[in-house]
Amino acid sequence: MKRMRKMYRLVQCLALTILMIEVWQGQGSIGNGIGYVKAADQTNQKEKPIVLRVCNWEEYIDLGEWDEEEIIELENGTVIFGEQPIYNDFEEWYQETYGREVHVEYSCFGTNEDLYNQLTMGDTYDLICPSEYMIMKLMAEDKLCPYSEEFYNRDNPYNYYINNVSPFIYKTLATNEINGENWAKYAAGYMWGITGVLYNPELMTEEEASTWSVFGNPKFNRQVTLKDNVRDSYFAALGILKADVLTDEAFLAASDYHERLEDLMNDVSPTTIEQAQELLDLLMDNVYSLETDSGKADMITGKIVANYQWSGDAVYAMDQADEDDFELKFAVPKESTNLWFDGWVMLQNGIGKDADKQHAAEAFVNYMSRTDSAVRNMYYIGYTSSIAGNREDATIYEYLKWCYEAQEDVEDSIEYPVGYFFSGDNADADYIVDVDASQIGRQLYAQYPPQEIIDRSAVMRYFDADANKAINQMWINVRCFDIYDVPVGVWIAVLVAILVLLRTVYFKSKLATCNS
Amino acid sequence: MGKIRFSRAQLCIPYGLFLVCFVFAPLVVIIYYAFTNGQGQFTLENLTSFFSSPNTIGTLAYSFGIAVVTTGVCLLLAYPVAYILARSSYRHKSVILMIFVMPMWINFTLRITALKEVLTIIEGNLSFHPFLNTVIGMTYDFLPFMILPIYTTLIKLDGSLLEAAADLGADALQTFLKVTLPLSVPGIISGIVMVFLPSMTNYVVLDMLYNSTYIMGSLIGAYFSAYDWHNGSMIALILLVIILLFTLFTNRYSDSDAGSRGGVFGA
Repeated sequence: MKRMRKMYRLVQCLALTILMIEVWQGQGSIGNGIGYVKAADQTNQKEKPIVLRVCNWEEYIDLGEWDEEEIIELENGTVIFGEQPIYNDFEEWYQETYGREVHVEYSCFGTNEDLYNQLTMGDTYDLICPSEYMIMKLMAEDKLCPYSEEFYNRDNPYNYYINNVSPFIYKTLATNEINGENWAKYAAGYMWGITGVLYNPELMTEEEASTWSVFGNPKFNRQVTLKDNVRDSYFAALGILKADVLTDEAFLAASDYHERLEDLMNDVSPTTIEQAQELLDLLMDNVYSLETDSGKADMITGKIVANYQWSGDAVYAMDQADEDDFELKFAVPKESTNLWFDGWVMLQNGIGKDADKQHAAEAFVNYMSRTDSAVRNMYYIGYTSSIAGNREDATIYEYLKWCYEAQEDVEDSIEYPVGYFFSGDNADADYIVDVDASQIGRQLYAQYPPQEIIDRSAVMRYFDADANKAINQMWINVRCFDIYDVPVGVWIAVLVAILVLLRTVYFKSKLATCNS
Repeated sequence: MGKIRFSRAQLCIPYGLFLVCFVFAPLVVIIYYAFTNGQGQFTLENLTSFFSSPNTIGTLAYSFGIAVVTTGVCLLLAYPVAYILARSSYRHKSVILMIFVMPMWINFTLRITALKEVLTIIEGNLSFHPFLNTVIGMTYDFLPFMILPIYTTLIKLDGSLLEAAADLGADALQTFLKVTLPLSVPGIISGIVMVFLPSMTNYVVLDMLYNSTYIMGSLIGAYFSAYDWHNGSMIALILLVIILLFTLFTNRYSDSDAGSRGGVFGA
């Protein structure tokens, strides 16, 4: 009888649980239903606000709330000020321009891999901003929507992207292909940069810093840091392994130099991966640590002398150090540097066939590509925008001058050409800025590197499934503790500990038998 | 309207739901991934590859080493403190206890950052002693978890037992070894459980103190960011089994010790 009662209780509980779930789900759908009816009643179905789900890197967009004194007044009369998050400005602008209400659901991701995992686990976004290799991977997997033809129509004044994007960035996008389609059709450049070595000029010479082998230099034993990230570390390892070829004069002078450079820096053959593992094992014994974020602060506090750094973070670190009257410099290894960029791409499973949504997504990219938006974002996050402006709208170039142009009374000013970025022609007299000679190896140099550095930059492509597996396994092997490295003393101690433990257990069980 | 009554079983429903959604369901997913490959077929390869690679076994050993040493150090530091606190006749014991527990209220990252600076002053270059730094960091982090349970067992200890031991001619050391220590074993065990398990996986401490070697937690993360759910899940599962065995083992001890007064050193 008792057992029956128990069973009855159990059934009752189960029924109740199911009921609760039912009610909960039911409420949800009832609620939605009401909301839907209301919206349809009040306005035309078409007027429902467009919801745009945007996912971007953390701290990678202007979130506004600038102080009064942060207003930037440029020589061409443009005034830049971030009052509220830029995506809220976009919402207002879209309403004014196209008469439709759009609501941006803005969220962030931490790493490209996290983003990819989120996507595979079923999170849907309309517009995301991953790095070049993730864009390639998504393109190869056919997960992206191409931008519409209208997006590339230069005659439409609201097509800020195509009218303002740097010819250098656009060329890089348009000359790289995945599955026979070029990236420019699927990705709109947002920020870009290179990788290099941030160093303390008091303790390290420029020459010592200008090579990837600085991380294996015994002179700086335990005073340099690498990135805690397999792609960056692998790139550095390739730079060291292939240094002889990369700096060979015949190689540098070859007509197909750039193609060969990219091939070398994308070498994922098993032997190279094996060599990279051996090299990284050695480097691990020479570096202070691997880091993602702490390196900047450790440079300033003097814990380390040099660290592997992305150009944008290098600018940030140099700015911070300047405030403390401490000089840091940025060097770009002579072997090669990793040209990277982040770009806006539209996802198929978010946009689908929804033309309104695609229009809003493209408008969002265009709004971000306005020169004033680009300046706001650059000022806020410290990275370099892919937006260059054009002859009529020189806001970006004015901002560059506002940041770096030498005072007129400075004697040792030099001419620094940035035409490759702004007009595609580095000899372009319109884009040669007079800067203080000390700017070489400093912020401007990291933000808009000179042409010769761009010439030796290589885009690191995505690794296909096999290579990805092999390289990640290589990285895990480098990072893991090898069981054969356990010292003999520890083995003995463990053995003794086990014996003691067994003895205790044995006596205890004996005691237990006696007691009972 | 009658009074709304809930039976005990019904009161468990919210927790039961929570358990099913956030503990049981993820576990099923982990088990599924652990025993399948990329094509969704059943495989034991993930298991065998874990135990055949010197690197993964090495990581397990390294995590174990950190956890054992940390737990040992915590125990050695915490027991005297808890003992003195519990035995002292000072009226405001709770105030002193609070001083020991207070660091727990300060943000964890902040504490480790401060510790990093202190250690840099002492050692100069932190990268030469990664294991030592990690143990110090973990001890700093988990010490209160060892003090509290030992203190609570000791404070509940019946004073008359100690008097009885003294009456029967035991000196202070004998009383401690034969009465106090065995009776505090349940506290020690729960302290060990609370320190040992998290210190096997808390890789944030390693990251922040510049120890670039992987431990179990970071190894799982490394597999996940390489989109390899299968090996990652297998490691998570292995960790779970280790924890399970460990808990079963310690449970047996704390139970039997509470019952019989033999104690670890009783025989």
